[in-house]
Amino acid sequence: MFKFLSFRHKAHSIVAETENKQFSFREYSWKQFKKNKPAYWSLVLLGIWIVLAFLAPVLANEKPLYCIYKSNKLYPAFSFKKTYELTDANGENKEVINLATFDWKRADYDKVVWPWCAYSPGNSDVFNISVSPGGEQVFSKINEELIQSPKKFRHRLGTGKDGGDVFAGLMHGIRYSLFIGILSMLIASATGITLGALAGYFGDSGMKTKRGIFIFCIVGVFFGWYYGFFTRSFALKDAFESGGITFILQLLFSFGILVAVTGLFMLPGKYLSRFSFFRNTINVPLDSIISRLIEIINSLPLFLVILSIAAISRPSFTTLVLIIGFSNWTSIARLTRAELLKVSRLEYIQAARSLGLQNRRIIFRHALPNAIGPALIAIAFGIAGAILTESGLSFIGVGVPPETVTWGKILSEARESTASWWLVVFPGLAIFLTVTMYNLIGEGLRDALDPKLKR
Amino acid sequence: MLRYIGKRILLFFPTLFIITLLGFVIAVNAPGDPVAKMMTAATATGDLTSQSSSMNEQKLLWRKKLGLDLPVFYFSISNLSTPDTLYKIYDKDENMAAARLLDQYGNWEQIQSYYMSCDNFYRGAAQMNLDTAGMDEQKINAGMERLNTLIMESKALKSCYDEDIIQSKLATIGSILSPVSHSEKIRRAFDEVWQSHDAMTSATSKWKNYIPAIHFYGTKNQYHRWLFGDGEFSQGLVRFDFGTSYSSKLPISDILKSKIAWSLFFTLFSVILAYGVSIPLGVRAARKRNGFFDRGSSLLLFILYSLPNFFVAFLLMLLFSNPNIWSVLPASGVKPAEGYPEAAGFFECVKISLPYVIMPLICYTYSSFAFLSRTVRGAMIENLEQDYIRTAHAKGLPEKRVIWKHAFRNSLLPVITVFANVFPAAIGGSVILESIFTIPGMGLEVFNAIAGQDYPMIIAVMTLTGILTLIGFLISDILYAVVDPRINYG
Repeated sequence: MFKFLSFRHKAHSIVAETENKQFSFREYSWKQFKKNKPAYWSLVLLGIWIVLAFLAPVLANEKPLYCIYKSNKLYPAFSFKKTYELTDANGENKEVINLATFDWKRADYDKVVWPWCAYSPGNSDVFNISVSPGGEQVFSKINEELIQSPKKFRHRLGTGKDGGDVFAGLMHGIRYSLFIGILSMLIASATGITLGALAGYFGDSGMKTKRGIFIFCIVGVFFGWYYGFFTRSFALKDAFESGGITFILQLLFSFGILVAVTGLFMLPGKYLSRFSFFRNTINVPLDSIISRLIEIINSLPLFLVILSIAAISRPSFTTLVLIIGFSNWTSIARLTRAELLKVSRLEYIQAARSLGLQNRRIIFRHALPNAIGPALIAIAFGIAGAILTESGLSFIGVGVPPETVTWGKILSEARESTASWWLVVFPGLAIFLTVTMYNLIGEGLRDALDPKLKR
Repeated sequence: MLRYIGKRILLFFPTLFIITLLGFVIAVNAPGDPVAKMMTAATATGDLTSQSSSMNEQKLLWRKKLGLDLPVFYFSISNLSTPDTLYKIYDKDENMAAARLLDQYGNWEQIQSYYMSCDNFYRGAAQMNLDTAGMDEQKINAGMERLNTLIMESKALKSCYDEDIIQSKLATIGSILSPVSHSEKIRRAFDEVWQSHDAMTSATSKWKNYIPAIHFYGTKNQYHRWLFGDGEFSQGLVRFDFGTSYSSKLPISDILKSKIAWSLFFTLFSVILAYGVSIPLGVRAARKRNGFFDRGSSLLLFILYSLPNFFVAFLLMLLFSNPNIWSVLPASGVKPAEGYPEAAGFFECVKISLPYVIMPLICYTYSSFAFLSRTVRGAMIENLEQDYIRTAHAKGLPEKRVIWKHAFRNSLLPVITVFANVFPAAIGGSVILESIFTIPGMGLEVFNAIAGQDYPMIIAVMTLTGILTLIGFLISDILYAVVDPRINYG
């Protein structure tokens, strides 16, 4: 065990020297990870998922990728313009078409290349409501004659109760599930790793400060909160309701005020340190505070808390990401804390301390890289959990804005028509595949990062 | 041990306090005015005539009943410009408007007089009658319409805070007022509104917003009332009174009492089933590690573990209660629509309900079952490799005894840890499952409460689940000590 821990740090251990090249734990675990075929292929699948997520607006789209319409070469699917000005052969006779409202499917082209799926999510095909993938699908020609759907315009995976294309919904749903899973876990891991590292590294007695600074820090936090959050509460509330990036910016601004005011208040604390009462050093029981916090959050019924917050706030993706993120950091924090408790007792950390390095540097440069393994595993599983939470929420109908199409939402349409099996099977499989993918990656990481399980 | 339990229960209180506080904060910040919502529901269902005088009385009564006429908490942190009596503007939207105006201008005296003049004007407008003498029907209709718009706009004015919107509302009212009004009184009231509005926007004192102030309200506040009751309308959380549901107006504790039985039945039964199946499975897989059984069950369990439960629920429904394929199990409910036959005994009831509960029970069980088996397997593998197991084998103990008495006992800790999380997961997850299978339990109630924006209900279930979670933690902690004598909580 000990041997491997020193491996992890780039220190030149005896073993590494005898192997005659520098041993990198990262390389070693990547090799181990690659040997685990299911986990490796899951990672590949994740790559494909990301590519699909970026290409979804092009791959599943109402507009053709390329067409020659009235001898004009057009690329409607790639265009950011709102209108096209068409010219005839002589370069005259302008006709303006609106990209959003133009009836692309029934236009008369000289040449046309359609995307993989010729539908956008959310748009309804009124002629094909709740059609099954293999069943009869109709297409209305320009003279309103109904014919068998041509192969290009078939709904490959059927449609929902409003005539929305399931395949297009699934393609675009990849984005939301990736977005929510990864971003919320980014928040969770930033919070969890920081708090866990602080608790594990400093413990209950590691953080010492002068009494004056401590007292003024607490007073400063109150005033920082007051000016950062209380007086700005309406601005924050409006931003929260409008959702999106504005809320995050406003929140960051508030945090900035909090930090600045707290820092300002700590100055007189430093000044007061010349008096003996304020000069006494006291311990900040960081570990106890953070552990208690984790305990309390763990005993909250999180799904219900998320449910009630999501039911109250006007749903938007940002708020959903924030809610899921801030409620899932505890397991990451616990694991990081336990790992850092172990690591910070090792000799190289002691050495770093005695060299007089800053605590921040020791934690983030030296201690954390050796302690991140278990947290990584928890993050991989956490993404799977976040995706499940999101799909569960949108299944119930809270959490995501009504106009967006997510996997959970497509699935929930099946509640009204139990006969439409395609509304159950395809989105369900998509969720299952994604969740399995992350779980397999998590398992693979667990095996790869555990030196006991050498393959 | 007893001392430890005592300590543990003492530690409950801060956690419980935070849970209740969280629930309460969510409820207070919920959008819309609950009383207004209840009134509209009442008028829509015909419980209440829309006569305004009795409506206002009713509103006041419900405010008192729900405790909404009290300040929110024991103290409030606010600023110098905010008076400690702001909560006395009962209407939630109007209160919010006043708070926002304070945020914009910081001069409570002017805002108060503006609010009063708006209120006064609204009252005057509401009492106005159309002088119908010598008018034909068309004119009367047009006049009535204008009057109604006037009343509506003047009411809406009270909950406006944005300067542009206020201006446009005032302009609309002014344009309506000139032809309609014959009375000097209403005209004067409107002028007053304008004057107070100008005073409010000109004499601002925004600096007052940046000086913190704390107001204390004592125990006569909403949170205290929610916790301990007021002895009149509410008994308080300590006596398991969770308040009144907005949508049905019944006490929530009565609703939950009638609903909790099915939720608990499914939770407990699925826990028992999950433990009963997963422990032997996990132990067997661990004993013959990497054998056929282990690989097969591991794969199956992994798949089960990753399947979302609503997906499984739908798949089961597609397969087993689908008239096109195979309709053997009923898709919803827990008993026949017409209820049990009258003379049915307990066992007969069980027999009737059995087909109804099979599918939900599978859905409740499978995920925790997959998770548990994997945990048991992992812990067993770790223990079976230990030296003491080899010793036990070497000294000639029978296989069974080695497995169950030595290895299994030591593998129990993670299993118990899981136990603590089963309760909240079951009740949280049951929101989805109960709504799919229409099981009359707490989860379905929460689902309906979300649809009907019935926040007290959501918060009640949240609090109750929090309490159950804490109890789960306590039980698992005690079990730790029972299983592992080395753990001494003394």
